[in-house]
Amino acid sequence: MKREVAAEIVDSLKDAGVDFVATLTEANLHDLVMALGEDKAIHHVPVTREEEGIGICAGAYLGGKKPAMVMMNAGFLLSTNALATVCIHPGIPVLLLIGHSGGVGEENAGHATVGAVTEPVLQAMHIVYEKVGRFEDIRPTIRDSQMLARSSRRPTAIVLNKEALR
Amino acid sequence: MKRYDCLRAIAPHFSEDLVVTNLGAVRHEWQALRPHHGNYHLQNLGLTSSMALGLALALPHRQVVAFDGDGSLLLNLGSLATIANQHPKNLIHIVFDNECYESSRGAPTATAGQADLAAVARGCGFANVVRTTTLAEFVDAFVRARKAKDLYFILAKVEPGAGDVPAAALDSQENKYLFVRYIEKSENVKILTSTLSRASEPRPK
Repeated sequence: MKREVAAEIVDSLKDAGVDFVATLTEANLHDLVMALGEDKAIHHVPVTREEEGIGICAGAYLGGKKPAMVMMNAGFLLSTNALATVCIHPGIPVLLLIGHSGGVGEENAGHATVGAVTEPVLQAMHIVYEKVGRFEDIRPTIRDSQMLARSSRRPTAIVLNKEALR
Repeated sequence: MKRYDCLRAIAPHFSEDLVVTNLGAVRHEWQALRPHHGNYHLQNLGLTSSMALGLALALPHRQVVAFDGDGSLLLNLGSLATIANQHPKNLIHIVFDNECYESSRGAPTATAGQADLAAVARGCGFANVVRTTTLAEFVDAFVRARKAKDLYFILAKVEPGAGDVPAAALDSQENKYLFVRYIEKSENVKILTSTLSRASEPRPK
């Protein structure tokens, strides 16, 4: 991810009211994770496993924070039980920013299956999501996804494609 | 030592403390001993410690207590590393270790073998780790942790067995709303969004 894209995401998150972010890094997310770590207005919690981050974000919401979770799609797939039991079942919103490995533009054959099942799993879980690649779409999509998460009391997701990640 | 006796012994110390309970009998025991809207009964095995961390970070001036179990924490050992690095001074992480999956008919957990959760917590960077095997040790550790106003990990080695209490009547949605409304009121914050009816808008001329 280019530094200007990372900076735009961080700024858009703050604009949307997000003040608490859990992350699990990956090469494509590195600049975003580092930028979140440096930002004073956002409490940043690097986690060891993505579902842990879902639990931390849900707890932060109960305490009045506006949380988001940054992870790759492999981590989203790992988090499905946590999202179902901790967020969707009781009605707790968390904004999910999901890097999409194995989507269009992917060069690494090893990511193909994870890439192919990501959207069907989001759909199966009834998580409303938007796919984002173009720079100018980042800010309005983060604002609107966060709005829906808060009003619906459910997690919403933004799937960052290769255009955003490279 | 039994978990219910531990809970009963420390319950009088709770005022407006926030509590996150693990799946299983512990939620019913705690709800019977301390019915309070500041109890959050998590419907997930593994994330008790993580929920409590998020809550403690969001409300650093409130005491947060997690009632975790060995089967749960073994699913989420990495949370100990995250908690130690975040170091919330308002979190007491209590693990009732009965060395079995009690709510799943009692098969042994890894702590029935070689695993030592207190050693794992220490290795992850917890400075205050107490291993307790008697009720007096447990109560003493809890009182000390509350006075210290620092992050504590308390391991309570307990026998399997649940207290004779009625099933807690709360379901997850109700529990969430009651908890959130309690936080909104006690912290004077707004968490749940609401929208006015269009009827409140000025009418077009």
